[in-house]
Amino acid sequence: MAVNLLIVDDSAVMRAMILKTIRMSDLSIGETHEAANGREGLDALDQHWIDLVILDINMPVMGGEEMIDHMRQNPETKDIPVVVVSTEGSETRIERIMKKGAEFIHKPFTPEVISDAVRNVIGKGADYAGST
Amino acid sequence: MPDRLKHILSRVAEEMLGELAFIFSFSDEETEPVPLDDAVAASITFTGPFSGSFVIVVPDRVLPGLTENMLGLDGGETATLDQQHDALKETINVICGNILPVIFGKQMIFDMGTPKMITESAAIQEAVRKEDKPEPASSVSLILENGQCDLFLFVDGEIPAGADGVEPD
Repeated sequence: MAVNLLIVDDSAVMRAMILKTIRMSDLSIGETHEAANGREGLDALDQHWIDLVILDINMPVMGGEEMIDHMRQNPETKDIPVVVVSTEGSETRIERIMKKGAEFIHKPFTPEVISDAVRNVIGKGADYAGST
Repeated sequence: MPDRLKHILSRVAEEMLGELAFIFSFSDEETEPVPLDDAVAASITFTGPFSGSFVIVVPDRVLPGLTENMLGLDGGETATLDQQHDALKETINVICGNILPVIFGKQMIFDMGTPKMITESAAIQEAVRKEDKPEPASSVSLILENGQCDLFLFVDGEIPAGADGVEPD
C-alpha cells in the first residue's frame, strides 16, 4: 500500500534529498507533501491524509519537537509514525525525542539507514499518546 | 589543544562533504585563504554550555557542483541560485551538528541557529577577518576538486582543557 509522506525541514535542498533517498528505497510512495517548519507541517496534517512524517528538529517558527508534541496531543494525528532526521548530537535530546515515539536518524544519512528507520516506525503502529 | 581542534574540524568537515555531497577533500595548512571577491559564505551560531559560530567560505564556482551532487541532478539539470545557497547553508548546518558533540561531548545540549548566507565580500570579511574580532578558536582550509573550502570556528570564551574530544595541553 502506498504511503502518503510529509517531509518537514526548513531546507528545500534537504527535503529534496530526503524525498530522492526515500524513492530509491523499495517503499511505495503515494502523495508527497512538504513543509518548511512545524507550523506548516501541522497545517499540512490538517489538510491531507498523511501516513508518515519525516521531520527535522531545528527549524524556525516551530521546531520538530514541538510539532511532535502537538501531533501526539491530537487524536487525529497521535498515531502517525514519525522519523526525525536531524544533526542533533546530544544523546539527552535524542533520547527525549525517541521517548515521544519517533525514530531518529542522523544527518547525513544513507538510503539504507532512512529506509530501515521508515520500516521500523511504520511497522510499530503503536499508540504514542501520553508519551510527551 | 589548537592542533587537536584543527584535526577535529578537518576530519569532520571532510567526512561531511564526502557523505553529504560526495566531495573528496583534504586539509592543507599551507594554502592561502579563499579570495573573498568571488566567494560566498554561510554561518551558523550555536548556544549552550558554550556559544559561538561556524563560518564556511567557498569560491562561487564550488556551489553548483556541491548542490548538484547533494540533489543528485543528472547531466543537463542545473541548480538554481536559491538551491545553491540552500545547499551551502545545509552543509554548514550538518558540519556544525556533527562537530559539536565531538568537541564538547554527546551529553552537552546545544541549540543551533538558522544558517545564514553571506554573499557580499565585505560582509564575509567582517565575519571572519575583522581586526577587532576575536581570533577563531580554530580554522581549516580544505582543498576540493574545483576549489577550496575554509571553515572557521568561533567560540565565546575558552574551551576548557579536558572537554570531551579536546585533550589537555
